[in-house]
Amino acid sequence: MKALAVGFLVIIVLAALAPLPAPYDRQFRDSPDARPSRQFPLGTDDLGRDRLSRLIYGTRVSLLLATAAALLSCVTAAALGGIAGLAGGMADTVILGAADLFLSLPWLFLLLLVRACLPLNVSPTISVAITFLLLGALGWAAPARVVRATVRKLSRSDFMLQARAAGSSPARLLWKHLIPNAMPILWAQLWITIPAYVLAETTLGMLGLGVMEPLPSWGNLLRELEGGGIAGHPWLLAPVLLLAAVVGSFQVVFEREDYSA
Amino acid sequence: MFGPADRHAVFRQIARIAVLVLAAGLSCAFLVRYAPGTMVDERELDRRLNEESIRELRSNKARYSDIGATLWRYMRGLTRGDLGYSQSNNAPISTLIADRAPETLRELAIGLTGGWFLGLALAIPRRGWGFSVLAGLLLSLPTALIAYLCLMEGAKSYLVLVIVLTPRIFLFAHNLLGQAYSALHVEMARARGVGEAKILMAHVFPAISPQLLALAATSVTMAIGATIPIEAICDVPGLGRLAWNAAMARDLPLLVNLTMLVAVATTVSMAVSEK
Repeated sequence: MKALAVGFLVIIVLAALAPLPAPYDRQFRDSPDARPSRQFPLGTDDLGRDRLSRLIYGTRVSLLLATAAALLSCVTAAALGGIAGLAGGMADTVILGAADLFLSLPWLFLLLLVRACLPLNVSPTISVAITFLLLGALGWAAPARVVRATVRKLSRSDFMLQARAAGSSPARLLWKHLIPNAMPILWAQLWITIPAYVLAETTLGMLGLGVMEPLPSWGNLLRELEGGGIAGHPWLLAPVLLLAAVVGSFQVVFEREDYSA
Repeated sequence: MFGPADRHAVFRQIARIAVLVLAAGLSCAFLVRYAPGTMVDERELDRRLNEESIRELRSNKARYSDIGATLWRYMRGLTRGDLGYSQSNNAPISTLIADRAPETLRELAIGLTGGWFLGLALAIPRRGWGFSVLAGLLLSLPTALIAYLCLMEGAKSYLVLVIVLTPRIFLFAHNLLGQAYSALHVEMARARGVGEAKILMAHVFPAISPQLLALAATSVTMAIGATIPIEAICDVPGLGRLAWNAAMARDLPLLVNLTMLVAVATTVSMAVSEK
C-alpha cells in the first residue's frame, strides 16, 4: 500500500514537473514512426514526435484537468447541497429536482450529448476549457445529494442545537460547526470524482471530443490505438498502463470501488 | 396486500418519472436548439441548389426554432404514435428506433446476463485477491478503451459490455457476500452443519437481495451509457450508434426521442430498485 502511494506520488510529481523529466518538447519532431531506441524510449508517432515526452506532458494535462473539474463540481455540489440541506422548502425541492434530472440520464450519455452540442472545431486551449467546464458542470448532482443529506443530518444534531441555544449567529454556525464537520465528506467526494473524471476525459478524447491535438492528453494519445496493430508495437500500450496505474492507485489508496465511466 | 397507501406511492413514482422524462426531453431540445450552428444546414452551401430548394431547407430548419411549438407538435404526434422525422437519416424516427432497437436490446441482454453471471460466479466462491486485482485493473480502464482493445482482437460488441460490467458486479457482490457470510446467524448455521448451498440460498441471498436489486438498476444504467462508445467504436448499428450520429448531426427530433427513451429506462430501473 505504501509502495503504491509512493509510486502514485512519483507519477504526480513527474507530471507536474513535465518539462524537466520529458526528454524533448511535446512538439519536438524527428524521424516519423521510429521504433523505441535509446534516443526515443517509446518511439515516435507518425509526425515524428517523441511518445515518452508527449505521454509525460499528456499526463499533466489529463490529471490537472480532471482535478480542476472535480474541484469545480465539488464546490458546486457543496454550495447547492448545502443550500438544499440548510434552507429546505422550495430551494430543497428545486435543487433536488435538478439533481434528479441530471441523474436521470447515464453519465456518459449526458456527457457525449452535451459535448456534441458545443463547438467541435476549436483550438486546443479552448478544448481544454470546454472539457473542464463540461465535467465540472455536469458532475455536481451525485455529490450534491450526499452533501445535502450530510448537512441535513448535521443541522439537526445535538451540538448544532446546543450552539444555537448558546446564541451562535447563523454565520458562526456555518463556519465553526457545519463546514468543518462536512469537510471529510467533501474530501471523500473529491477523491471519488477525480478518477471518474480522468476516465471521462479519456473517453471523450478517444471519441475525438476531448482535448484537441496538438496538445497531448491521455484521451488523444490513446487514439493512436485506432490504427490497430499493437501486436507488433506493444509500446503503444504505455498510456494504457499509466492510466491503469493512476486510476488503480486512486482506487486502492482512496478505497474506491465503483466508477460509472 | 396492495393498499391505498401503496397505490398512492406508485402514482407518485409514475408522476415523478413522467416529469423527469419530460424535463429531460425539454432540456435536450433547448440544448440542441441553442447549440451553435444548429439552425444552419450545410447543404445550403451546395451551389447546385436553386433559391427554392434553399428556401425549403431553411423552412425545414425553422420548424424547430420555436421549442414550445416543437414540443407541442411532438406531444400531439406522440398520441398518434408518430415520433417525428429524422432529417439526418431521412427516415421516420419510429422506423429508425424499431430497426435499431433489437441490436441494442440483444447487446444489453447478453451483456447484462453475462456480466451478472460472471460477476456472481466469481464472487460466490469468495476467491482471493487475484480476481479483485483483475477487476480493479478493468475498472481503471474507460469503456471506449476496452472497446478498442476488443475490436482489435476481433471480439463482438456484447463481449465488451460483459467485460465492462463484470468487474463492477464482481467487486460489489464480493464485498456484500463477505459481510453476509460473516453474520452471526450464518456462522451458527454453518456450525450446525448446514450445507454451503443452503446457507447461500436461505441465509446469504435473502440478506443481500435489496442491495443486489439496487446494483441491478445501476448496472442497467451503466450498460445503457456504455452502449454509446461501444457501438460508436465497434460500428454496431444500434441505438447507441444512432444517438452518437444524431448528436454529431444535431438532429433535434431524433435526439429528443432518444434522450426521453434513455431517461425512461434509467428512471424506471432506479424506481424499481428503490421499491
